Amino acid sequence: MFRKLLTALPLAAALAMPAAAQDFPDRALRIVHGFGAGGNADTVSRIMAEEMSKTFGQPVVVESRPGAGGTVASGYVSKEDPDGYTMQLMVGGHAVAAALYSSLPYESVDGFTFISTLGQFPFMVAARSGEYESIGALIEAAKASPGSIKIGHSGVGSTQHLTGELLALRTGAEFLHIPYKGGAAASTALMGGEVDVVIDTGTVIRPQAEAGVYDILAITSGERWPDAPDLPTVSETVAEGFDVVSWTGIGMPAGVPDDIAATIRGAVHDALAAPAVNDMIASLGAKPSPSSGEDMTALIEGQIAVWTDVISTAGIEKR
Amino acid sequence: MLDQFLLGLSVVMQPHVLMYAFFGVFLGQLIGVLPGVGAITAISLLLPVTFYLDATTSMILLAGIYYGSQFGGSIASILLNLPGTPSSVVTCLEGYPLAQSNRAGLALFVAAFSSFIGGMVGVTILVLAAIPMTVIALKFGAPEYAMLVILGLLAASMIGTGSQIRSFAMVVLGIGLGLVGADATTGYYRFVAMPELADGISLVSLAMGLFGVSEVIRNASNRPAANTPTLSIRMRDVIPTRVQAKSLAFPIVRGSGIGSFFGALPGTGAAIASFMAYAMEKRFSRSPEKFGKGHLPGLAAPESANNAASQTGFIPTLSLGVPGDAVMALIIGALILNGIIPGPRLMVDQPELFWGVIASFFVGNIILLMINIPLIKLWVLLLRIPYQKLYPMIVIMICVGVYSHRTSVTDVLLTLAFGILGYLMKNYRFEPAPVLLGFVLGPLLEDNFRRTMLLYGGDFTIFLTRPISAVLVAGSVFLIAFAIWSSISTSRITKRSIV
Repeated sequence: MFRKLLTALPLAAALAMPAAAQDFPDRALRIVHGFGAGGNADTVSRIMAEEMSKTFGQPVVVESRPGAGGTVASGYVSKEDPDGYTMQLMVGGHAVAAALYSSLPYESVDGFTFISTLGQFPFMVAARSGEYESIGALIEAAKASPGSIKIGHSGVGSTQHLTGELLALRTGAEFLHIPYKGGAAASTALMGGEVDVVIDTGTVIRPQAEAGVYDILAITSGERWPDAPDLPTVSETVAEGFDVVSWTGIGMPAGVPDDIAATIRGAVHDALAAPAVNDMIASLGAKPSPSSGEDMTALIEGQIAVWTDVISTAGIEKR
Repeated sequence: MLDQFLLGLSVVMQPHVLMYAFFGVFLGQLIGVLPGVGAITAISLLLPVTFYLDATTSMILLAGIYYGSQFGGSIASILLNLPGTPSSVVTCLEGYPLAQSNRAGLALFVAAFSSFIGGMVGVTILVLAAIPMTVIALKFGAPEYAMLVILGLLAASMIGTGSQIRSFAMVVLGIGLGLVGADATTGYYRFVAMPELADGISLVSLAMGLFGVSEVIRNASNRPAANTPTLSIRMRDVIPTRVQAKSLAFPIVRGSGIGSFFGALPGTGAAIASFMAYAMEKRFSRSPEKFGKGHLPGLAAPESANNAASQTGFIPTLSLGVPGDAVMALIIGALILNGIIPGPRLMVDQPELFWGVIASFFVGNIILLMINIPLIKLWVLLLRIPYQKLYPMIVIMICVGVYSHRTSVTDVLLTLAFGILGYLMKNYRFEPAPVLLGFVLGPLLEDNFRRTMLLYGGDFTIFLTRPISAVLVAGSVFLIAFAIWSSISTSRITKRSIV
């Protein structure tokens, strides 16, 4: 009898496991992000939360823990209980921070269970209309007089800044990188003629390009972008293999059980398929991109390697 | 121009649009009154609502919240020394002494009326001069901003009422506090004792602490709890006399002009405009000694300036598609969510939206004035609440407001710490206003100066070879010369000729 009970125990435990996952979630979940209320991260979190609460039949609460480029929130989430109830809306800055900060209160890859990317978006290299015929012409001009062409960017250590530095590294051209407070300020400086080039997202660049104020010289993704198939890539013109996209995605603390992670991933993918979410991500200039956890991990690891290299080569001050 | 504006009016005059315009400014007004709760919080909370509205109505609603909050920000400043928005800090300087000397109703009336005129001037400039203003704004590069701030600092060096050296020390303290956070040029962390400080100290924390919390502490320690003034709130005491009204005409005009100009420059905004307007008034006043004790022109000028600025702030947003500040970025975000890409073509592609929104500013300002004047009596009644009941409520509201701004507990603790600092400063006769001035202008000067050096290879002559910059340098030199000259010649009527 006792022996029977012993053999039955693991069986019972095995049976109980999926039952626990089936019960999940039995209370409110939350999405933490590291940016201010009303920003893009906040907006995406809120619309995801609304969609996912429909799937789970449980409220999904958005919690903003802003500070230090999102690292305050990452540090907080990585130390939370990996019970599946705490999610983090992450952005490309997560990979940048791993390279930029000399010490972080968390492990950028091993501290998290990555669920899925939500959207990916490229950057665009723009100049005032008629200044440069092509990205090739820009690079040649930069090589002809090193350091004379000014690239305005949205802040030291932003992905925009690092993309400009990477462009210089990969083409051998030398630029003067000028920091502004945000993409809008950099864009104003380009209009006013203070800088010659701005590299930023489609939301900053495209309205001006459509109005004929800017020419988009190239796009930074490895392949042509489905949304703008006519734009040449940096890779096919001046720097083969150049591939920069930024992203938003969902991560959780390390150690979330596989079945719960799978449940969350399923809900995230379902939410991405919903028209409201899909439209919102598209309106932010991104391509909805459901992925596996492995793909997201690989993306982040790859970007950390690239940015670490850029930051040390370009001599950007670590924090 | 006129028929386009009429097109806009026809959009606004539809009942449901008018309702949202009213709702927006009314909500904005209420939010402005709450200490620390700014337009950003309100707009980001209401952003999801705009999914259900069309683009024009969304814009009218959100914009109404924005300038409505500027309008409402003055109320708590005047009554309780609590700047509801950063741009109404200066309003405290004259408004609160007025309220304490039993003239709260008058102060509220003057603030509302100046705000109204400022707002109307701002909209008029927005209609008539949006394009030329845009051209000028684009000519403002880093050297111009740097020189503009120097001119502003010089003009404002008289902002305190106490001794010059104390005032100077406080500006330096403000600059020091403004240094906290990541250095914009290199990204290097300065004074970042904990990661929460990496983005710098919040202006809301500093203003709420130095003005609001310190006042609460001071009253708790000084005043007998039963001391509530019996207030007369007859309409006769609320409306300025003919002589007072006359003395306000020019300050309102100057304030509106300064505000309109600063509002149109991306990144400066209403807070700086109000500081500049106050400083100018004081600098060129025939009786500067009256400032800080409840001098009406010192209230009217910054009030008209911050409202004019909040209207012309839409110039870069609407004409270039470039947001001038965080609130504008949110408003542009609402447009994008509605599938409209704001940009230079907005005026041509979406005339009903563009002119509808502008016409709504006109209508909104009139609505604001109409709801404000009757409410003055009600607001003054606030002062009848006994202090021991009022102040705990205020402290709670400040904490909620500051927290909602960046959802940061650190900000709340900092606010309380600044409150204690402010209390000590008052006890030792140091003024809080110059601290805020240094805090706002210091980083702006540093950023733009260093950016200039970076852009032009460390060449100082750039400040003199660029025309607008050269004019600003000349202005600064003139101010210094004027200060020296007026301190030498024992001030006669001479100052009058300068204006």
